[in-house]
Amino acid sequence: MKQNTLSYKIKQYLMFAGPGTILFFCVVIVPFIYGVYLTFTSWDGVSAKKPWVGLANYAAAFADKDYWAALGRTAIYSIFAVVLINILAFFLAYLVTSGVKGQNFFRSGFFVPNLIGGIVLGYVWKFVFNRAFVALASAIAGGTAPSLLSTPNGAMCALIIVSVWQYAGYMMLIYVAGFMSVSEDVKEASSIDGCTASQTMWNVTVPLMRASFVQCLFLSITRCFVVYDVNLSLTKGEPFGSSVMAAMHVYNQAFTYKNYGLGQAEALILFVVCAVVGVTQVMIGKKGEVEA
Amino acid sequence: MKKALAMMLALVMVLALVACGGGNSEGGNSSSASGATLTIFNSKMEIQSQMEEMAAQYSQEKGVPVEVYYSSDTVAAHMATKYASNDPYVLAMVDAKDVYSLGAEHAVDLSGEKWVGDTTQAISVDGKVLGFPVCVEARGLLYNGDAIKAATGKDFDPSTIKTTADLQALINEIAAGGMALPVGLQKEDWSLGAHYFAEIYELHDDPDAFIAGIKDGSIKLADDKVFNAMMDTFDVLKEYNYAKEAPTSAEREVTEMKLAEGDLCFKFGGNWDWSNMVDTDYTENLGMMPVPSDLDGYNTKLVGGGSKYFYIDNGVSEELQQAAKDFLNWLVYEADGQDFLVNKCSLVPAFSNITLSVSDPLGASVKSYADKGALVGNYNYLPDDHYAKVGASFQKYLAGETDRAGFAQEVTEYWATAEVGAH
Repeated sequence: MKQNTLSYKIKQYLMFAGPGTILFFCVVIVPFIYGVYLTFTSWDGVSAKKPWVGLANYAAAFADKDYWAALGRTAIYSIFAVVLINILAFFLAYLVTSGVKGQNFFRSGFFVPNLIGGIVLGYVWKFVFNRAFVALASAIAGGTAPSLLSTPNGAMCALIIVSVWQYAGYMMLIYVAGFMSVSEDVKEASSIDGCTASQTMWNVTVPLMRASFVQCLFLSITRCFVVYDVNLSLTKGEPFGSSVMAAMHVYNQAFTYKNYGLGQAEALILFVVCAVVGVTQVMIGKKGEVEA
Repeated sequence: MKKALAMMLALVMVLALVACGGGNSEGGNSSSASGATLTIFNSKMEIQSQMEEMAAQYSQEKGVPVEVYYSSDTVAAHMATKYASNDPYVLAMVDAKDVYSLGAEHAVDLSGEKWVGDTTQAISVDGKVLGFPVCVEARGLLYNGDAIKAATGKDFDPSTIKTTADLQALINEIAAGGMALPVGLQKEDWSLGAHYFAEIYELHDDPDAFIAGIKDGSIKLADDKVFNAMMDTFDVLKEYNYAKEAPTSAEREVTEMKLAEGDLCFKFGGNWDWSNMVDTDYTENLGMMPVPSDLDGYNTKLVGGGSKYFYIDNGVSEELQQAAKDFLNWLVYEADGQDFLVNKCSLVPAFSNITLSVSDPLGASVKSYADKGALVGNYNYLPDDHYAKVGASFQKYLAGETDRAGFAQEVTEYWATAEVGAH
């Protein structure tokens, strides 16, 4: 059988990648295209009629002050969260690969928060912030201490803290893999050449782990930009709508306020923003990757 | 060898496909089975366990499989997702405004049902009865008579407190008696926006005209008599809020428990608060009174009416529609159904033929006001985002982030683009 004919290639493709392609097409591409279609209608999410309105939803989305405020807030949240997640994850990964006693136990321990669903995690932390910390602070300072969740900045801090706690363990695993992939030979060579431990770290190990950084940054950026579950269960956008993230605004717009078309248009803009940020970051990161 | 391996692989794949196919046809079966199930959407979290028990019992007795679902989403949002996925409930419990927004397109006409004659709270759209009132709920100031008596030494008679000044005087007396901050206020946007602020519309003789006036600028909200009267009272409540240091971190359940156990004397709320108070160590003389204000004629009435409505989806089979109608009749006319509504769920029934006495004290207050005809009706046509947007502004006011003029300004700005629902 000839192996370079078109029909052979198609057959091969269908055999191995066919099922995956079909599934991907059905559950990602088709809904996406349908979603794009809905952005051109003023559908309310319930009605059987979907009146065509052209680009009106995009005009409304660009004019929606609350949406841009939410998007700006999401960007600020993402910057803080991504930086802190990666610093902490790197640090943890360093610790659990440095040969401390019981490092496997620590590895799984730090990873556990990631196994708890965002919703549950939000409620648990809400309890911690509203009851435990308040009781503790009240006992120390006297009077009734306000909860961190009751002020706009406090609520943002709380969201960042919880996200960092949730994702640091997951990113740690990727960094752990990165640390393990750097071969002992090069490290040994560097120390023979007179490097101190920290010089080895910054000039040998870290550059060789670049792929891990690219991956972790990509994952944390995209996850932070579309954060919803923790946002919902921890702050629900409160106080006074000051912690509504972009995804929550989109959901409210589409389902609670029944402007499905507008919500969908805003979701599409969020997607584009996410994609641009994510792809740019990966491209920059890949450029300087070193092959060991 | 290689060939055999390939055969094996192919076999495995075929098997997998068959398994998938089997799964699919099973899925089909189960969905047609659920097609004969009376699915009920419950949007009152506090009665979910009672609903589930009732469903099991009802299924057994009547031979109609009943399944009850609950969602913590807002009702409108949840219904929207169900309709978006083309998977409606046979019987859905929704808020009044949802009957207006969904009913015309999705609800079965119930005008011919017997219970229509026994209630004043059913919802009609275009002359057709579409919504079955699940219960009567009202808003007002909850009080704990025992706590008030402990502080003042006198028996409490709610009818003596009518104006804001009366309330202030009583609170001063309570404070002198040892409870410096006797009031609880919820921070939730629905409590502030949809319950307290909504009274400002409802206490106008013509809410439609009032809103139209705000929209076209002919009425200045900041100068409005009702707005100022209600905000004066709110200022008093806010001043004596036990959580005034951090009003936006007060938790509903804690506030309710404090009121029930006599650590607070007042809380703005409604008879639904009872569901969280019933499990506490509550004192005897609890009740509900109108929000005191300088609005003569209105400060002796609670605000409320039919709350939560069932409608039957018109997209399901005739057989299921009939099963749903039977279920509604069971609630109103059979002893078990009445017992379920009044005793098991502690709801205030909206039907005049149900004579069971309401066991919970807040519900009993509502019933006594309703029987006297002292209920100001709900205004059910506020836009879907009203509670969130106005509620957020109200939260700012509660937290001291804005003053009354700023709050009035934000609400006016909200109404510049918002539209009331069709009715």
